[in-house]
Amino acid sequence: MKMADGSTILRRNRPGTKAKDFSRWPDEPFEEMDSTLAVQQYIQQQIRRDPANIDLILTPPDAQDEGVWKYEHLRQFCMELNGLAVRLQGECHPETCTQMTATEQWIFLCAAHKTPKECPAIDYTRHTLDGAACLLNSNKYFPSRVSIKESSVAKLGSVCRRVYRIFSHAYFHHRTIFDEFENETYLCRRFTAFVTKYNLMSKDNLIVPILEEEGSGETDA
Amino acid sequence: MKIPSSYCGPTMEDSSPSQNHNGQLGPSSGGNNIGNKQNEEGSQRTQYSIPGILHFIQHEWARFEMERSQWEVDRAELQARIAFLQGERKGQENLKNDLVRRIKMLEYALKQERAKYHKLKYGTELQQGDVKPPMFDEHSGPEAPVDGEATFTSVSNVSWRQGRQLLRQYLQEIGYTDTIIDVRSNRVRSLLGLNNNAEGEENLNNAPLQVNGNEPSNKRACESQGRRTPAKKTPPPASSLAEAMILDTQAAVMASFDFLAQSVADMDDDDDMSDDLDEAQDDEQDDVKTAKRKGKGLMLTEGMTTDDVDREAEEVLNELNLLSETEDSGADIHSQSDPSDWSGTGMGFQPGTGHRRQLGSALADEEVLDSTLGLGELAQLTVNNEAEAAYDITATKESYRKTWNAKYTLRSHFDGVRALAFHPQEPVLITASEDHTLKLWNLQKTVPAKKSTSLDVEPLYTFRRHTGPVLCLAMSATGEECYSGGVDGAIYCWKLPCANIDPYDSFDPGVVTGSLEGHTDAVWGLSIHSQRLQLLSCSSDGTVKLWSPSSKAPLVSSYSSEQDGAPTSVDFVRDENTRMVAAFSSAHCIVYDLETGKQVVRLETGQDVDNNIVGRQINRVVAHPTLPLTITAHEDRHIRFFDNTTGKLVHAMVAHLDSVTSLAVDPNGLYLLSGSHDCSIRVWNLDNKTCVQEITAHRKKFDESIFDVAFHASRPFIASAGADALAKVFV
Repeated sequence: MKMADGSTILRRNRPGTKAKDFSRWPDEPFEEMDSTLAVQQYIQQQIRRDPANIDLILTPPDAQDEGVWKYEHLRQFCMELNGLAVRLQGECHPETCTQMTATEQWIFLCAAHKTPKECPAIDYTRHTLDGAACLLNSNKYFPSRVSIKESSVAKLGSVCRRVYRIFSHAYFHHRTIFDEFENETYLCRRFTAFVTKYNLMSKDNLIVPILEEEGSGETDA
Repeated sequence: MKIPSSYCGPTMEDSSPSQNHNGQLGPSSGGNNIGNKQNEEGSQRTQYSIPGILHFIQHEWARFEMERSQWEVDRAELQARIAFLQGERKGQENLKNDLVRRIKMLEYALKQERAKYHKLKYGTELQQGDVKPPMFDEHSGPEAPVDGEATFTSVSNVSWRQGRQLLRQYLQEIGYTDTIIDVRSNRVRSLLGLNNNAEGEENLNNAPLQVNGNEPSNKRACESQGRRTPAKKTPPPASSLAEAMILDTQAAVMASFDFLAQSVADMDDDDDMSDDLDEAQDDEQDDVKTAKRKGKGLMLTEGMTTDDVDREAEEVLNELNLLSETEDSGADIHSQSDPSDWSGTGMGFQPGTGHRRQLGSALADEEVLDSTLGLGELAQLTVNNEAEAAYDITATKESYRKTWNAKYTLRSHFDGVRALAFHPQEPVLITASEDHTLKLWNLQKTVPAKKSTSLDVEPLYTFRRHTGPVLCLAMSATGEECYSGGVDGAIYCWKLPCANIDPYDSFDPGVVTGSLEGHTDAVWGLSIHSQRLQLLSCSSDGTVKLWSPSSKAPLVSSYSSEQDGAPTSVDFVRDENTRMVAAFSSAHCIVYDLETGKQVVRLETGQDVDNNIVGRQINRVVAHPTLPLTITAHEDRHIRFFDNTTGKLVHAMVAHLDSVTSLAVDPNGLYLLSGSHDCSIRVWNLDNKTCVQEITAHRKKFDESIFDVAFHASRPFIASAGADALAKVFV
């Protein structure tokens, strides 16, 4: 780092940095990232550059281990979903959304409890994100962030399925919040593309008609 | 069978081997008898003659006599063994008492030292008056039974040698010989891990011979016990061996005492205080030693006069077994029990914490528990002394918290952990992360054994409100509220959920109790004042704001310095209630009067600051809890110390290999903790500004590694927060 041509770039958010300058440093080529968190760095860097460029964000660097790639992306999704949860906290109350639903077809049971139960939507959202945070940080299943066991990679699918319901609930019951959030982050679109690309969820479960809107102009599914 | 042997009577008197010999002679002599006895007992194949019978009876009598004398010898030997074992038992008891005294004296000396240090350094009396007198009484109270004690109070080893001689003399007077000292020394050695068991065993086996002064003729008796045969060789060198052992053990014991003396002496050396202090310490040291010797003499006599030794001795033996077990079980246990224990004694001095640790109180009350726990510590002290002399100086000086070891890993954040704060009393902490959340952790709720490392902690509660990375955190002195500031410019007030909450309980919107509106850009620093119930915040919008969070109009006032740019960190001046110190991106530090808003003192960083402002930016500023001292952490790897009254630089040091990001001072103001982007945290002794310990704690993300460090206000915990999304707690 320091030896390069005198003017070294230190990618740091020093105290006193303004919000608009937060993490606004020159991109670092993936090959030069020598940290164990290189994949996370790379993903965040790509998102920061242009959150709308989903294809680029989802394109792994050469020779990237796919398990780690999927794992780090899912971490990033869960992290950004906090933003949606914060917005939902203001509008989605246990009295109005007593159950976690999207369409009328399913009532989702909260898997965070010993016996799955019908949590109100906001609790379901929080519990699912907390549970995902615990699972994805679990020393048992994911002790390393540079290599991941095949058996642990298999767990990613169920996390995807659960957190996707937050998108679907927001889409069908809190459309304003969903749209605001989506326009800012492109998160649902990115998530849909991600699970489709890596086949982590079946197409039937992807009930938010978001890619179709963009792609083929179809309206409803 | 035996009859023929009667003819060989004269050869019989010596030893058992000759009996075998007789058996062989028998048939030939039996031939003579046949002719003589034919008329009397014709029908019998074997004839008896009167002389033969007489011979036989004589022989039998001689044999019985011999056997009886042999039994007598056996009995004497067993008695000797009993005497020896009793002696050993007493010796062990003495040893136990001795070690207990030593522990207490050590403890007492450390307390004295700390108190003195505090008094001289800060001029304030600490709440130790209630602790000291009883301790003192306990040691000096019993009358010393030994005359001429005063002559042995010098610090040198020679006096120790004399003392030992004297003690040995006493022992001899009362009827115990060197062996008891030997046994005692052996035990000391084995406790100190200097002795191998085999050697000790051998010595024990040999010992009875010396104890009772048995003549070599007793060898015969020994022969009946086959396993004892090697003992034959030992008697001649035994005395010299014993002598050597004594010397050895003396050396070993001496070494440990040397260490004690050395540690006290080190305290002297390290102290920059006046000669008065040194003298006082010397006196104190002498006191300690005298008292120790008194204690020893006392318990020697005690040990000898007690009648119901049996029960006690059994107890002692058990204890010693226990001791060796704990010793074997390794450094882990020690290191875990150690800090808490030491800090327990240390905490006795903290104003406001009337709460002594369990171990500490046990130490005072229960002799038995005392010796087992205490000796574990003692053993470790000695081991450390051997291992790392350099560390030891500071380690003994700090009197508690020897080395910190990572114990808990807090994993649940998705991105770098920017800040953390401990609950003032409970083993509970909150972390704030760039993943926009804060999490609450209870260190007593570790994840059960389903995980490989049992010391992972799962969060109890996730605070969601910020819409950007959370950068700073402050916990109220009651531990009921906390405040967080983030890139979104908001400061949120949180009511802490119960530390035993179900992590998947239903959402309680009441956890967010409000927000402090006013900053227009990222909030980078928060500081809370326990008495004033006020909060300071600094933001990259260029202002420092003072809040009274509980009042209706929380914003009290706002401070800024146009020439110095954005504030980077802020803290209340702890010894001056109405002031605060703020660090600015210009690398300057300014002390403000909170009431008037005026700058009181500018802390001079030096001329060359202006040349490279960014390179020297201050990442964190903290005020010393009791002294008019400001400590700053710089991007240029330095930690700098300023005098608040003059504004002058007191000390500057290159503290890390990369920029220093965070600082924390322990509640007593004795230690400083620093974190750096070089991935390590360091513990510093504030007195002599030396690094006590370095721990590599976190990994890098981009060029950032460690964002925050913290001390627990009342428990022996430190913590670090890293860019690798982990927080770690060390004990």
